[in-house]
Amino acid sequence: MEKIMSESNSVQRELIHLLHDVQNKFGYIPAQSISQISRELKVSESEIFGVLTFYKAFTLKPRGKHLITICMGTACHVRGAPMILDEFERKLGIEAGETTEDNLFTLETVNCVGACALGPIAIADGDYHGQMKTREVGEIIKKLKQEKGKSIE
Amino acid sequence: MKITIDGKKIEVEGKRTVLEVAREKGIYIPSLCDHPRLAPFGGCRLCIVEIKEKGGFPPSCSTFVENGMEIKTKTPRLQKLRREILELILSEHPNACLICSEKEKCDEYKSTIRKVGEVTGCVLCSNNGRCELQDVVETLKIDKVRFPSVYRNLEVKKGDPFFDRDYNLCILCGRCVRVCQELRGAAAVSFVYRGSQAVVGTVLDLPLIESGCQFCGACLDICPTGSLAERGIRYEDLPDERVKTICPLCSMGCELKIDLKKKKILSSKPSDEGAVNQGQACVKGRFLIKDLIQSPRRIIKPLFRMNKELEETSWEEALDFVAQRLRKFKGKEIALVASPQVSCEEYFLLHKFASEELKTENVDSSYRFSPLAVIDEMAQENGLELDLNFELKDISRAKALFLIGEDIPKSHPIIWLEVLKAVQRGAKLMVASPAELSLNRYSSLWLKIKPGTEFYFLSFLSKLFLQNEQEANHPRIEGFDSFKSSLGEFDLSQVFEMTGITREGLEEAFGLLSEAEDAAFLFGMGLTQYPWGTRNVAALWNLALQAQAQLFPLGLENNLRGVFEIGQNSSGQGLNFNQIFQAALSGDLKALYLAGPAPYLKKANLEFLVIQDSFVNENFKLADAVLPASTFAETDGTFINGEGRVQKFNKIIDPLGDAKPDWWIISQLARRMGNRGFPFKNPPEITKELIKTIPGFSNISCAELGKGQKVFIQEKAKKERSFIPVKYMDINYKKSKKYPFLLSLDYSLDYYRSLVLSQESKGMKAIRDSRWIKISSEDAEKLNLEEGESIVIESSSGKFKGFVKILESLPDGILRASFLLSEDADFSVNGLIPSGFQESHSLGMLPVKIKREK
Ligand code: SF4
Ligand code: SF4
Ligand code: SF4
Ligand code: FES
Ligand code: FES
Repeated sequence: MEKIMSESNSVQRELIHLLHDVQNKFGYIPAQSISQISRELKVSESEIFGVLTFYKAFTLKPRGKHLITICMGTACHVRGAPMILDEFERKLGIEAGETTEDNLFTLETVNCVGACALGPIAIADGDYHGQMKTREVGEIIKKLKQEKGKSIE
Repeated sequence: MKITIDGKKIEVEGKRTVLEVAREKGIYIPSLCDHPRLAPFGGCRLCIVEIKEKGGFPPSCSTFVENGMEIKTKTPRLQKLRREILELILSEHPNACLICSEKEKCDEYKSTIRKVGEVTGCVLCSNNGRCELQDVVETLKIDKVRFPSVYRNLEVKKGDPFFDRDYNLCILCGRCVRVCQELRGAAAVSFVYRGSQAVVGTVLDLPLIESGCQFCGACLDICPTGSLAERGIRYEDLPDERVKTICPLCSMGCELKIDLKKKKILSSKPSDEGAVNQGQACVKGRFLIKDLIQSPRRIIKPLFRMNKELEETSWEEALDFVAQRLRKFKGKEIALVASPQVSCEEYFLLHKFASEELKTENVDSSYRFSPLAVIDEMAQENGLELDLNFELKDISRAKALFLIGEDIPKSHPIIWLEVLKAVQRGAKLMVASPAELSLNRYSSLWLKIKPGTEFYFLSFLSKLFLQNEQEANHPRIEGFDSFKSSLGEFDLSQVFEMTGITREGLEEAFGLLSEAEDAAFLFGMGLTQYPWGTRNVAALWNLALQAQAQLFPLGLENNLRGVFEIGQNSSGQGLNFNQIFQAALSGDLKALYLAGPAPYLKKANLEFLVIQDSFVNENFKLADAVLPASTFAETDGTFINGEGRVQKFNKIIDPLGDAKPDWWIISQLARRMGNRGFPFKNPPEITKELIKTIPGFSNISCAELGKGQKVFIQEKAKKERSFIPVKYMDINYKKSKKYPFLLSLDYSLDYYRSLVLSQESKGMKAIRDSRWIKISSEDAEKLNLEEGESIVIESSSGKFKGFVKILESLPDGILRASFLLSEDADFSVNGLIPSGFQESHSLGMLPVKIKREK
């Protein structure tokens, strides 16, 4: 029993390691890589999926150079977050959860980032923008484009 | 060790958890995530106890007993905590009904309101009345939930065969995840996502069918809630009776418990007490028993052909008709084919009937395809004696396992569970197969072998053993020297070219086998189905002697061992299975009694054909009489499983319509033909005669059988084993421009009598359709074939229709299809095989071409 435990622990560690490598190389975990990892490490695909969805560091979809996150928590929601989101979606031509074709922008939503008083909130590459107005959306996008791209973690 | 639980003094031995000991002593501790067959998990915390001089509230399911422990299980504090924990669990589970004060009275009204999609309370849940969560709520007397209730509103997963998954009812106890991983080795489900999103799921949220699920139903049976619901009985009420019987769908013979409602079968589940299966089964035993017994294709009236058409008739008339006609044929003119799926008693009577009444030795059954028959043939050729009996635990005890020629999680699920146990205990598994198998995840070494070259590979490995004699430490037994010199022709530098296995691979295989003390070799049809099958087995036999391994032939049908034992009692002079059908084609045979599956006999030249079967099949078109036999569920008897274990099975329902058990039909016929040797009124009377007549049964007592005690067939004392000199041969397949593919056939066990399971059940069809033609992804791409497309395969002697199934790891140029004796002519590979089979057990490899269906 102990042997299994230690073995499964080391497999677990190896798995996380490998997932990190894949994530770093591609910027996300491509679906096909799951079956390759499964063969390599002899862990079932569902188990791998369990691990990779447990850690936020791994993503299944490619992420763009810039990450824009809109808070859709209750406070932000009532203060007009949906309108902000709409505007981002329109300007970028994608929907929440997607990445632009040129791989520059990824748009995501979250539930409450703990700064409700400042709502509605948008986070662009880690910078918080409080009390967002729809007209500020364009500016943020422009600024991000100009920046040579702080890389995202 | 001495401990006390709630003041009660208890002696404990070994490493046991507190919960285990309490359960054994009848002390109830509420628990939800723990299960006796799974490793402790400690997830739900309901099982907390207080232990003197230990702080906190340790969960009893994952706390091991220590000497002197004083344990309390029911203090007010514990009960209060447990209630709180349970309320938390319930806040995420539809709880209105659980805590409803009217729940007792509700029963009267609820029966009609079940048929709603969304389960928002027990009255709408298929698990109502058999739910562990309900039981725990009941014992902890919960009447309110003080936390806000959430309905997670997850989509109910209905895209898979056999059962739905509604994780809105899931309490995340992890039992399904653990049983799937620990006991079944499938790991098709896992906890996915995290925090409040955490749920049980599959890779990329795909359907189970794409996630490696075996559809064994183990998760369903172990879930303490109604999250996993068998579709067929979703809206059925609770059963009013539960009976036990033995599954007839593979060589293991799992004990099943069958739920009945008004004498109709609701469902079948593995029995926890089953000596063979211990609470497990497989998709066939779990989900298909009901479908096959109550199939619309059952024949429930005797039929005969007085004029042109088959007409319904009475038993009286049918039996008179058959008895009268059968009298005209004797000896060589007539043959009888029996099913290896009937009971020992019935098989015995069929034999007796053939020899005493039909005066023929032409009796056989399809058992000749089995590895058992091939190893027996090999033993006879070489004057060896075999030990055929084994016990499943011999497999899980092994330190090294070598599997060749079978995909056991599919074909022999229960054997697979034992192999998995061995691997979990640290054993090394070595697999030789042309295509990748799901179980390779558990193997230490996969030898990707060129199909058909097993003989070379095994001999090369033997040679390597000889070269490393010191390490290998050979037993110096009879035949060693001639064996050694017979390997002279094998040149180790050719191993890759000849078998596709590298020299390193071979060395690794040697290392693995020579290190282990206890080795088990499991071999299936993939090794034995060639015209040179006996040589393959001989090569494996030698290797087993060198590695001091035990051999396990992977059996096929449920009663093959019984058929084998009884068959040995006859002279063996008559025609065998294939010869019978050849004789039927050539006209040498005038009459045929079919009491087992057979290929379509359209071209046969028979004067009289009787079919005794449970299901409609194509041969009815040619039959002069059809006698409706009942299924295993409608009579008693014994089966002998692959281990050699004699298992009694019980009648669970009355025969459908006018169907009658095989033993009854044969006895009636014999009596009508004037034979007094068939006075049997019930199967036990036949068992007694069987015990008197067949040597292997002579040590069996009916009383022991009845009580379900461990009874094995008796084997003769064996002489010393000896090596067999190998005979080098050239293996050549005749691929040609005209027939560029080689078709390899898997003998399929997905049938019962003449019913093909995948054609009867939609679910089975989705998992493994008997009409799939497997092709490598590269070949499929080259030919522009798509999954599911219908195609025609043609050989020099015929064609058949099937559907493309792409199997990534199949070698190029190879096709695979399953071989079933009784499929519709159009869809059966039988037509491809040139006039019967060349040798008794050979399915070989057929040169074929592919044509598109227009
Ligand atoms: S049916 Fe069997 S294999 Fe499939 S998920 Fe359940 S336990 Fe796992
Ligand atoms: S589906 Fe059932 S067994 Fe699986 S975690 Fe949920 S409640 Fe437990
Ligand atoms: S087919 Fe075999 S493994 Fe499956 S339930 Fe029946 S006896 Fe058990
Ligand atoms: S709701 Fe947006 S920060 Fe809390
Ligand atoms: S049964 Fe012990 S924690 Fe669930």
